[in-house]
Amino acid sequence: MPLKTIYKAPWFVKAVFIVSFFLIFFVAGVTFKNMNNLSDSSDLVTEKYELAIKLEQILSYLKDAETGQRGFIVIRDSTHLAPYFSGRENINNRFVEIKELIIDQSEQHKNLIELGFLIDNCLDNLEKTQQFIIKNQNDIDSPGFERLFYRGKRIMDQIRAKIKVMLHYQNERLEKYQATYKSNLKLTPIFLYSLMLMSLLLLIAGYFKIMSNLKKLERTNRSLELFKESTNQSEIVSKHGTWTWNINNDSFKFSDNLYRLLGEEPHSFEPTIENFLKYVHSEDVEKLTAHIEKMKEEHELPFIYFRVIHENGNIKHLKSYGKVIIGSDARLNLLGTTTDVTEETRSFRTLEERNLELERNNKELSAFNHVASHDLQEPLRKIQTFLSRLEEKEEGNLSESGEKYMSRMKNAATRMRLLIDDLLQFSRTNKADKVLEVSNINLLLEAAKQDLAEVITQENAEIKADNFPVMKVIPFQIQQLFANLIGNSLKYKAADRAPEITITCNQIKAEDEELLSNTKFDAYYKITFKDNGIGFDNEYAERIFVLFNRLHNKDEYSGTGIGLSICKKIVENHRGYIFANGNPGVGAMFTIFLPIS
Amino acid sequence: MNQDYIHIILADDDEDDRLFFTDVFEELKMTTKVDTYNDGVYLMDYLNSEDAVIPNVLFLDLNMPRKTGMECLKEIKANDKFKDMAIAIYSTSASEEDIENTFVFGANIYIKKPDNFKKLKKALSEVVTINWQYHTSGLNKDNFLLRL
Repeated sequence: MPLKTIYKAPWFVKAVFIVSFFLIFFVAGVTFKNMNNLSDSSDLVTEKYELAIKLEQILSYLKDAETGQRGFIVIRDSTHLAPYFSGRENINNRFVEIKELIIDQSEQHKNLIELGFLIDNCLDNLEKTQQFIIKNQNDIDSPGFERLFYRGKRIMDQIRAKIKVMLHYQNERLEKYQATYKSNLKLTPIFLYSLMLMSLLLLIAGYFKIMSNLKKLERTNRSLELFKESTNQSEIVSKHGTWTWNINNDSFKFSDNLYRLLGEEPHSFEPTIENFLKYVHSEDVEKLTAHIEKMKEEHELPFIYFRVIHENGNIKHLKSYGKVIIGSDARLNLLGTTTDVTEETRSFRTLEERNLELERNNKELSAFNHVASHDLQEPLRKIQTFLSRLEEKEEGNLSESGEKYMSRMKNAATRMRLLIDDLLQFSRTNKADKVLEVSNINLLLEAAKQDLAEVITQENAEIKADNFPVMKVIPFQIQQLFANLIGNSLKYKAADRAPEITITCNQIKAEDEELLSNTKFDAYYKITFKDNGIGFDNEYAERIFVLFNRLHNKDEYSGTGIGLSICKKIVENHRGYIFANGNPGVGAMFTIFLPIS
Repeated sequence: MNQDYIHIILADDDEDDRLFFTDVFEELKMTTKVDTYNDGVYLMDYLNSEDAVIPNVLFLDLNMPRKTGMECLKEIKANDKFKDMAIAIYSTSASEEDIENTFVFGANIYIKKPDNFKKLKKALSEVVTINWQYHTSGLNKDNFLLRL
């Protein structure tokens, strides 16, 4: 596992090459040193043989001189003396050469000096022998000659011994040297070989790593290529273009689609500010130039909106955003996006116009409400007042049918007043700007009951209610809601029993309630109003909330068909739901859900 | 000024309402002097004139052309000359907004014009017989609107 992590590490290739470099460097060093040692030892061998040859030569020169002298003594021919005469010079030459060979070996040097003495002695003895021969007329039988002859032999033996010593010394030296390096040399090849193998392995690993990196790079390149293509496509689809502005050298790069946003073919002109500004609407040029200047300083600015004109005269609305990115090389690059918002602008305009129209409609509606409530009330009030005056003053003077008409007129006027009042109330509930307040619902219910106190007493009604928690509501509307629902129950009471109204309240979760689906809130207060009145057919459960919709003839039950519409409106103002459930002859139940927020 | 009648002024642009108003006081067995003005401008012209007699009770309609009842109320309350005059608002509408505003600007009572002559008679007789000093001291938003 750690090997794998090392292999995956980004510094791996670098490390491989550094390690291999040092390994090879080391191997080269060691090899160089070994080669040096090898050549040293071969030098030593050569030196040894050279020394042996030269010493042999010296010995042979001495022998030649001796043999020549002996020849002279036997045959008395002076030509035999040539090696004797040249001997000293030749020996001296060899001697100098040997001296050079062993210049750095003190022991050998000492031996050489001793050899020199012996040689001198030998040559000296030969000289003496020569002089003796010449003086004594070649008398080889005299004891003097014999003494000299034996002395010469002794010296010769000593020289041989010395040369043997010298050769032996040289041999030992070579052997010692070779012994030292042999042990080194035995291990070195294995060591070097394994080092080379190791660096080879490392290099192979490095190679594979490089290859895999290359492949990865290729893959990345391919996906980058794909990404670029998809970016191009998305630019076309979402109608935006991107641009890069290198602030340091003031050069631009425009994406293909940016050219299209200007109504041109990609790369059809040099990407510069000047060329871009040629397309910008003359009224927006100043604003945009100022914005661009500011962008350079502040590095990030909000959106800017401007217009461009295409060659064919089309005006497009564009939106731009830019942000300065500081690259690793401390270069300032401004990356920007420009989007075509022509359609958004257009639909925004349309929306604005619609909004204005709606506002106008709303104003008209509220003006109508005012007329309905206020201005219609005034003539009605006068009709009613004049009627009451007429009734008071002319009571006895009217015929029977006249009085009947009078009472019909009074009923009609009263009904009209009721309608106007209810309509007014409905329009008041319409207002959306009412604020939700944390309210004591129990008090609101009390107030609603107070409003209806007269009827409640008169009907001997019993109202049972749970204790309500505190809720966030529009207080007067909730009071109105309660009053309307209680009033409704009292109005549609059963003839044979006193009205009973049961009000319950509990908290529920939207998902547990089958009446609720696709609700905005998770939890609701569920408030139910249950009565024992005449009820209604469930078929009409939805229709009863529709404005002006009535289930009964107005001769049986007075009413305008607005009361329950108001209830629905109020509940909807609170983003809640109201449902009705009727059982003819048994009673009705209204269920209200108010969101807990 | 010592007088043996109650001086009442009504400012209302509606002819019918002025008629009902004067009818009520004709029928009521009270010694009253009733003056009516057709809008706020006429009313204020009279009240600001040198020889004006300050009435005991002023009935003000709110919705009048040229100068509304609200404007008259503000002008009157700004003038110390009228500090003893009781002001009754006499309007078709009984919107929360109107009631609140006139209360804040110092009217003494608010009457919603009833739709029945009997009720009107009852309301007006109640208002003119109120002991204003007593009523004003205990005035609050709840008893400001005259309940019929």
